[in-house]
This record gives sequence, structure tokens and C-alpha cells, in this order.
Amino acid sequence: MINATDISRVYRMGLVEVHALSGVSFDIGKGEFVGIVGASGSGKSTLLHILGLLDLPTSGFLSINGIDVSAMNDDERTEFRLNNLGYVFQDYALVQELTVLENVSLPAMMRGTPRDEYLHKSEELLNQVGLIHRMHHRQYELSGGEQQRVAIARSLINSPTLLFADEPCANLDTKSSRNILELFQKLNAELSQTIIMVTHEEWHEAYMCRVLVLTDGKVADQRACKR
Amino acid sequence: MKFQKISVALFLAGKSIQRGNRFTFILTVTIMALVFVNLVFLPSIISGVVVNFNTQSIDYSFGNLIIEPREKQVVITNVYSLKRKLDQIPEVIGSSPRTQIGATYRYKDNTQSGPLIALSPKSDMEVTKIGTKVKEGYFLEDTDTDSIVLGTTLTGNQDSRLDKSDSLGGPQVGERISVTFSNGVTRDLVVKGILDSGVYNVDLAGYVTTREMEQVLGVKDEASSILVKMRENGKEEYYKNLLMQYGVQEKVRTYKEKAGGFVNDAVTAFEIINTISTGVSLVIATVVTFIVIFINTVNKRRQIGILKAIGINKRVIVYSYVLQVLVIATCGTILGLALAGLLVMYLNINPLIFPGGAVYPVVEPGPFIRSTISLYLVSIISGFIPSYNTANEPILEAIRGPA
Repeated sequence: MINATDISRVYRMGLVEVHALSGVSFDIGKGEFVGIVGASGSGKSTLLHILGLLDLPTSGFLSINGIDVSAMNDDERTEFRLNNLGYVFQDYALVQELTVLENVSLPAMMRGTPRDEYLHKSEELLNQVGLIHRMHHRQYELSGGEQQRVAIARSLINSPTLLFADEPCANLDTKSSRNILELFQKLNAELSQTIIMVTHEEWHEAYMCRVLVLTDGKVADQRACKR
Repeated sequence: MKFQKISVALFLAGKSIQRGNRFTFILTVTIMALVFVNLVFLPSIISGVVVNFNTQSIDYSFGNLIIEPREKQVVITNVYSLKRKLDQIPEVIGSSPRTQIGATYRYKDNTQSGPLIALSPKSDMEVTKIGTKVKEGYFLEDTDTDSIVLGTTLTGNQDSRLDKSDSLGGPQVGERISVTFSNGVTRDLVVKGILDSGVYNVDLAGYVTTREMEQVLGVKDEASSILVKMRENGKEEYYKNLLMQYGVQEKVRTYKEKAGGFVNDAVTAFEIINTISTGVSLVIATVVTFIVIFINTVNKRRQIGILKAIGINKRVIVYSYVLQVLVIATCGTILGLALAGLLVMYLNINPLIFPGGAVYPVVEPGPFIRSTISLYLVSIISGFIPSYNTANEPILEAIRGPA
């Protein structure tokens, strides 16, 4: 599903080069719920951005679903994200001017899904995340946990093969975090949804199948979780 | 897929306008409306001045065409026969032979030199409108002698501080003034009326009947010029040739040629002012509109990044911003049109008073179309550039802002 080989990412900050990732290699199979963990500055978000095609590696090879995505241009990456990837941001990243239903539906509209179909699916997903009663509300009318659940529903609307989540519980209280993680676990268990999630909370690992531990931009450890 | 992109762009643009910041929308539309008014208003005043010059020249000074003596002749002879010939031309509304001389006017202790124009009132009323501009007393009649109508500037006021130029000190209707003709003959004439046309040169002259002038000068069937009123304004060149085709052998000039230096210089000067002013207005309009829309779009940088991150094609994002500015430009143009309309309406009721008379704004299609196109062009550029730049930025930079 994902084959990352020797991925490096170097940032230039003035005259200083910062090696955020240095030769990271791993594979992730279909239906896995993988956590990327590590201390602050270890490169876990950078790695997730590269896997989610939001950023480009400085060097290395990345294939998703057997396709060499590192060779794609900007438009191709956007198209690939739309059709194959779902992304949940730490700060939800909802479109302010749209309602909950419109936010969830937007990627399906872009994909050209018939209106009836995407409305039905959006309502179904909102039902799954427990927000069907809030579908005509706007972002500012929702709590942080609710916004994150909208973002999850949006990330699933085009039935992505891969779901990325960048510290989705960072801004949430424990109860909301638990709800989100249970939702991810349910998606993974019932729909075999492949999920890759960045977290810095150890207790989150209980919901995952496997964890990649990053230290100083390198995979320091890989371990299966007790689930 | 193309239809799909436009449909999503329309959806995003519609929602952004519907649910975006109302204050920003209203502010942007208002600025664009004021820019539009600025682009349309001054040209309309300048057009009004030009139209005013032309109308005043035709209605009060020259008619459409002026027939003048042939080469090497001082006066037109056989005037009655020529007038008959002119009046038979279908396109001619009327013709008015006039004789103009220099005269010296005296009233009490005030002496003033100025033009004295002899005309046949009935004929002249068919050509000019001076007969309708008598503010006190009456205009002349064909059979009048011993009477004079004075222009208001020549008449002046008893209090000289109220005068625009040197005057006779305010003779009243019914009083007598002394007029010395160019041949040295002096006559005491009764002021029959005082003329206020609003045209400086017209109001600076005195007017007597042709009969009076013929008696004093001892001439008959002569005139220094014949003013001709044609059916339509603006076709003077065509009419000039027409008169020549009908066998008029005297010199025929259009009112523009006759007014020559003065009107042409004024019109040229105003056209230069107009061009410069429109150019400057356009630059200001471009900069202001660009800044307002640019800032508005740049403020949505994060939103653009999010849209791209969830798989919205960058062309869709750019289309949606261009569509938004098109809506803003349309609202701005409509509001600008309404404001300009109100301003024009106000100035039609309360015209600007220029030395040449009252000036009414004239909205011509040229400046209107130019302003509309400029506004749309500027808007499209202002919407396109920042959205295109942001849509081409790395996604994470757009979402988080540059490091």
C-alpha cells in the first residue's frame, strides 16, 4: 500500500540546513492502523505531510497503491489526494463559509459524484460520526471535538484507500479524544480503512496495530501495539 | 470535467459571497462604485461643456452655418434674393441676415464701445434663440426704429461692483442711450429690452433692426453675414456642401470654423484635461481596486491552502475567486451607475454655471463602456493574481503562513 524508501527532507532556514527526515524507509500494508510517534521535532508531522502528498521529499522514493507518487506534478498530486487520500488536520481545517454538510460534500462534488449520491453519503457519514443533527450548522457553532468529527467525515467522503491524521486529538479534551480514536478504530476494524496517525500521546497507541517511532528524523523503532 | 470545475467554482464563489464578511463585501462594492462614478463623472461634465459650447454657438451666436461675403468683398449684396434661395432649400429651417458694426454707446457719464448688430427680428427668431432671452422689456420687431435691445453685460448695473466688465452703468428699459454708428452718425435710441443669453459675446452687444441700420448707414439689401439654421445639428459639413451645391457662391462656414480658435481651443483643452484626468482616475481605480481585492484574497490564503489540501484543483480555486470579483465588479458597476445617475439628475436640476452658460452633464457611451470594461479588467486581475499565486504556493505554507 505504502512503500517509502530512503525518504529525506531538508529545510533551509537562512544559512542553516535542517534535516527533518534522514533516510526513512518502511512499508504499510492495507488495513493497518499505524501510529507515528516521537518527541517534538522528531519529524513525524513532516513524514505525514510527505505521505499525504502535502509536501515533497528532498530525496527518496514513495509509492502509494503501487504508483510512484514522487514523480507527480502539482495537479496530479491534487487529483491523487482527491481520489485516494483522506486527511485530518490537527486544527480541523474546515472551510469557514460552508455548513457541516457542504464541508463534507465538497470533495465529492469536486470528484463529480452525482448530487443525490454525495448528499446521501455525506448524511450517512455524519450519522456515523454522530453529527447528523448538526449538518446545517457552521464551523463556529461547533465544539472542537465536533469540528474534528466533521473533518473525519469529510476525509472519508471519497472512500479513500488511505486516511492520514495529524495529531487529530491535540486540541481536544480526553473524552473527545477517546471518541475520535474509537471512531478511527471502528473504521479500521469494520471497513478495513488504512489509517496513519501522528500522535505524541502514549495512550493512543492502544488503538493502533503498529507504531513507527521517529527520533531525529529517523525510524528508531517499529513495534506492534497491544490492541 | 470542465463543467464540473466551473460548477464547484460557482458553488464556492456563491457561498463565499453569501456567507463571507458582509462589511468587506459592501466596502469593496462601494469603493468600486465610487471609482466608477469618478471615471464617468468628469468626462460627462467635460462632454457637457463641449455640448454647451456647441449649443450656445448654434443657438445664440452663429446658427449652424454662416454665409459671409465673397473674396475681396466687404458685404454680402443682393441679400433678399440670397435669403429667398436659402429658404427654399428643404434642409434649411431659416436664415437671418445680419450687419455688424462697431459702435460707441453712451449713457449718462458712461461711454462704452462694442459691437452693434442689425437683424430682422422675425427672421432671426427662426435661427437663433436670443429673442427668447429678453429678461426685461421686449425684443425687437421688424418695423421698430428708434429702439435698441442691449446685452446684459453691456448694460451693466448702477453699482459697478456687480458688473462682470465695463458697462453703461445700468440703463433701464424705456430710458434713452446715445449710440454713435461706425459712420459717425449718433442717434438716441430707446432701450426696448435687455437681453441675458448667458453667452458672453452675445450679451456684450447691442441689437437694432435692419431697418434702423439701413436708415443710418444709407445702405439697402446688404449684410455682413447670414446665419443659417439647418434641420439637424452635427451635420454642418454636409450642409455646407449642400448649400454650395444649391449655388451659394458666398463663403460658407460652419459654426465651428467661425468660432474657430476659441471653441476649438477650449474643446481641445478640455479633451486634454479629460484624457489626463481619465488616465489618472484609471490608475487610481486600478490601484485602489487591486489593493482592496488583493488584501481580501490574501486574507483567505489559509482557506485556499485547505481547499487544495482536500483535493480541490487550483484552477477551480482561481475560477472561484475570479467569479467572486466579477460579482463584486457587477454590483460596483450597478451601484456606481445608480450614484452617477443621481449625480447627473441633481446636476440637471442644478447645473454648473460656466462663463459660457449652464453646463449639464452628458453621459456618452464611450466613457461609460470604457469605465465598465476597466473596472471588470482590474477586478479580474486583482482576483486572479493573488489567488493564482496562493494556489501555486506549497500547501503547508498557504495553510500555516510562510516560515
